[in-house]
Amino acid sequence: MASLGAGGGSANSSHRHRSLAPPAHVLASIFTSKPPPHYVPGIGRGASGFTTRSDIGPAAVSLGGAGAVGQEAPADAAPGQQPVNDGAYNAALGNDGGLLAKRYDDDDEDKEADAIYQAIDAKLADRRQQGVREQKIKDQIEQNRKDNPKITEQFADLKRRLKDVTEEQWEAIPDASDLAAKRQRKNDTTVAMPDTLLRRALEGQETNAHIDPTAMPGAGAGGGGDGATDLKAVGEGRQTMLGMKLAKLSDNVSGQTTIDPKGYLTSLSGMHVNSEAEVSDIKKARLLLKSVINTNPGHAPGWIAAARLEETAGKMSEARRFALTGTEKCPKSDDVWIEAARLHPPDTAKAILARGVAANPDSISLWLAAADLEPDTLSKQRVLRRALMQIPTSVKLWKASVDLSSEEDARLLLTRAVECCPQHTELWLALASLETYEAARGVLNRARAAVPTELSIWIAASELEEANGNGKMCGKIISRAIKSLASTGTAIDRDTWLREAEKCEKSKSPATCRAIVFATLGMGVEEIDRQRTWSADAEDALGRSCPETARSMLLKAIEAFPGKVSLWRQLVKLEKACGTATDEILAILTKSVSHCPQAVVLWLMAAKERWLGGGQMPPSAEAVDGARAILQEAHRHNADSEDIILAAHKIELDSGEHERARILLARSRDRTGLCSMDGTAKSAASGGSERIYIKSALAERMERNHKEELSLLTEGLGKFPKSWKMWLMKAQALRRGGGDVDGDGDVSMLKVEPGSSANAKMDDAKACYERARAALQQGVKQCPHSIPLWLASADLEFDMGFPAKGRALLEQARLKNPKEDRIWYLHVQRERKLSTGGDVHAAEKLMAQALQECPESGLLWSAHIGMAPRQVRKSRCADALKRCDKDVRVIGAVARLFWADGKLDKARSWLTRATSLAPDDGDTWVLLYRFEQAASAASASETSGASSVIKACTAASPKHGIFWTRVSKDPELWEWDASWKSRVASSASSAHEMRIERTLELASQLMSAEEDALEGVGSRK
Amino acid sequence: MSYLLPHLHTGWQVDQAILVEEERIVILRFGSDADETCMLMDEMLSKISERVKNWAAIYLVDIKQVPDFNTMYELYDPCTVMFFHRNKHIMVDMGTGNNNKINWALNDEQEFIDIAETVFRGARKGRGLVVSPKEYSTKYLY
Repeated sequence: MASLGAGGGSANSSHRHRSLAPPAHVLASIFTSKPPPHYVPGIGRGASGFTTRSDIGPAAVSLGGAGAVGQEAPADAAPGQQPVNDGAYNAALGNDGGLLAKRYDDDDEDKEADAIYQAIDAKLADRRQQGVREQKIKDQIEQNRKDNPKITEQFADLKRRLKDVTEEQWEAIPDASDLAAKRQRKNDTTVAMPDTLLRRALEGQETNAHIDPTAMPGAGAGGGGDGATDLKAVGEGRQTMLGMKLAKLSDNVSGQTTIDPKGYLTSLSGMHVNSEAEVSDIKKARLLLKSVINTNPGHAPGWIAAARLEETAGKMSEARRFALTGTEKCPKSDDVWIEAARLHPPDTAKAILARGVAANPDSISLWLAAADLEPDTLSKQRVLRRALMQIPTSVKLWKASVDLSSEEDARLLLTRAVECCPQHTELWLALASLETYEAARGVLNRARAAVPTELSIWIAASELEEANGNGKMCGKIISRAIKSLASTGTAIDRDTWLREAEKCEKSKSPATCRAIVFATLGMGVEEIDRQRTWSADAEDALGRSCPETARSMLLKAIEAFPGKVSLWRQLVKLEKACGTATDEILAILTKSVSHCPQAVVLWLMAAKERWLGGGQMPPSAEAVDGARAILQEAHRHNADSEDIILAAHKIELDSGEHERARILLARSRDRTGLCSMDGTAKSAASGGSERIYIKSALAERMERNHKEELSLLTEGLGKFPKSWKMWLMKAQALRRGGGDVDGDGDVSMLKVEPGSSANAKMDDAKACYERARAALQQGVKQCPHSIPLWLASADLEFDMGFPAKGRALLEQARLKNPKEDRIWYLHVQRERKLSTGGDVHAAEKLMAQALQECPESGLLWSAHIGMAPRQVRKSRCADALKRCDKDVRVIGAVARLFWADGKLDKARSWLTRATSLAPDDGDTWVLLYRFEQAASAASASETSGASSVIKACTAASPKHGIFWTRVSKDPELWEWDASWKSRVASSASSAHEMRIERTLELASQLMSAEEDALEGVGSRK
Repeated sequence: MSYLLPHLHTGWQVDQAILVEEERIVILRFGSDADETCMLMDEMLSKISERVKNWAAIYLVDIKQVPDFNTMYELYDPCTVMFFHRNKHIMVDMGTGNNNKINWALNDEQEFIDIAETVFRGARKGRGLVVSPKEYSTKYLY
């Protein structure tokens, strides 16, 4: 409305200068012009009305008094047009009679005149056209005859040829079947039995003819004269019909039925009576087949179908008759013969088949069927022999015959067979497998000559050689195979060859397998892709459990790339997986390091294999010496590898040569430019890497040389101030140092640290604490993102009874390291332990915050579950599982809940799940161990569960876990370990197991102590 | 106020009035000048006729004098306003159910101008039915 209407005036103004109105004289003509005569307003303009209110009246416009309804005028009728009175508006111009209709319509005389004129016109036109029309009709008839010739005319030429038909041919023309019979049948449709009949039956004058009395059980009992019995019979007849219908329902197409007739009408459904519909179907089919047979008696399937139909209809004799007629009519069709034999009892069948093979001596299927009919092997063989005499080239017959024969006969048969059918590899191979070595070679040679394109013959030859101890021939044979196959133009691709190799391996011919792989691995592989492809192929072969193939592939690959460390490693891995003896693996490794002496990994593997491969614990002296020699060699080649030095150090340490170990490390510390395998440590200037220092300090710690340890750590920290591990070790050493001073009365520590000169016990502890604290503070400053350092420093504060300081430290740590659940965890646990006045709210609050910050942390969730009162735990478990259902700690917490509820089985399964989920987490193992111990204590059985846990845990050898590391890294354990080892010498595995058991024991003690501390809080509450 | 607007006295004149307008819309008021409703309507129409003359032509038709269209256009009401453009009857959906015409006294000038303008714009675009900017269903029927 904006421009035109909204203001009214605006519409006005916007159009002031360009009015759309027509010129004035046109407007004036509205009033001045005269309407044409008989003008009908509205309709003259072309308007049509509308009907919205039919209750009031029709909108259709009536035209004047005559009431004739006017037609629509064209919309484009020019305004002011003067209608012309003559016939300008005629129908031919598409104009309507609207304007002028009235004039003609209302006058009867006019109509009559029109009719007369039309009649005259028609007559004149007719006269003119007559001649033309007659001609046209003639043409049409002619055309019609040409298009639709009479049948007699169509077949006129054929008819003429009938004179050549001989008498026999004339006789052989089958009669047309009488299709009219079908229409007659309609007369004997059944109708419902009228009441009069029933009444008459009651009167005993007539028996019921509607249902066959034989089909009615019990109908005959009463006799014809008794009306009451007959009525009963009628009812039973109905039941029979019902039964038949049910039977039909039960075996309709879908096989499903709502009715279970078996329960009700077993006897009825068992009756061999077909329902009416089926019978009529059979009749229809019979009729059809009959016409098929009649019109085309040489068509074997028609005969077979007819026989089958009769068979299904239950008329065996008819079926046989059809089949036999079929054999007479089409003796060349073996199907008919077989069908006829099938329908007859065996003896007759034999005779039929004999006739059949006489008629078709070349039909393999007939011969086979005949052989099948024979009851014993001997006669079967005889039949087959005869068959082979007839058809010597049938592989099927040969095979059937060989299958039935004994080994010796089979050999003879096959010898003949390969002569008859030289193209069939299977026969050749079968013969070769039956022959002796020498003969088999001959056979295979001949086979090769006969079928030069067949791969399997070559492989069979190679396998044969291998089986007879000629393993080295395999390579030759296979290479010849490749050459000759290529020359015959048979392209066999690499994958096929490799598959064949795997097949050879499966059939226990490793040499052939290897030969194939060696010969074909390089086929069609790009130069650059070789290594990768081969290694992937080996992986695949191993995946399909073909280690020999994989090994051959790797050997071939190594042959091509002797300097590739990854290939050597893959090979060693493969050998280990196959359980090859240590010596062989060692040999491979020795070879490998000779090829790539710079590969530290291979050296280390070799040393380890030498050292521990014997499976003895402690390793025998010679093993240690061997390993030492290997490492020395390695060191000679890789002088600057700290991994080798550390490995040597480990060996020395383990074999009790502490002095040598120390010297080794001291030397390496002084050296410059050491580098490790993973390239982490590179202490170019100062010599010795961080790892070396840590290891050295660790060694000293194990020796309890605190002084040395501390000085080493201080030295190391001077060089590597960012090493949080060393800071941590230093703090631990300082703290422990205090304890040792106190316990052992060793005053050496005091001399080292002149600051702590007090003698009192408390002061000692305090001094140690102070020093440790200082170390940790420094450490934290250096490595603000090291969580263990923060945790250690906070722990120290809490342990020494300064919770406020500890809290502050944890706050700081959180600020520096957001979203770190370990810090939260420690804080919460500490708060819980501290909440002496039953004030668990602090811990709860903290936990809530913690979970908000790290909602996915299993550690926090498990603690959260543990904190809850028993009633709430279940729902918290559900929450936790929703958040992190893969976390072992949460699963452990859930298991603990089950345990507390006494659902031992469930708890065990959950714990087992947790351990299998993260076998690296020691705490779960500890929990499982505790659980098993408790369970066995409860059931008073021997600790079978616990021992199996120890075994599994040994296999998994976990490394992480809060409680686990606390125990496993304790020098006390090492000491215990060392002392125990020196006492008892046994196998390596059992020693390891003992250590794990000890660890589990100690860790579980720790865990229960911790739990007690926490639970104590809960109970106080 | 009927004397301010031109009357059409015969069916021919009505048809001619519709036919001669090439651009403008033609607004026809059917009814009798003496009727009360018509008077109201006429007054309103006379007021706006000057404002819309550039794009609309307004004529009055006495249905007693010119009964030719009574059946065709169902002219039974005292006052009926219909719109045409280029000899085409333009329907307006006003929510009353009868889109063919306005058969009540619409006494608001601006409302009528709005409707007429909608008709004009729609008709120029070739529409046969336009939707009234305001709905009259509840107000006048209930």
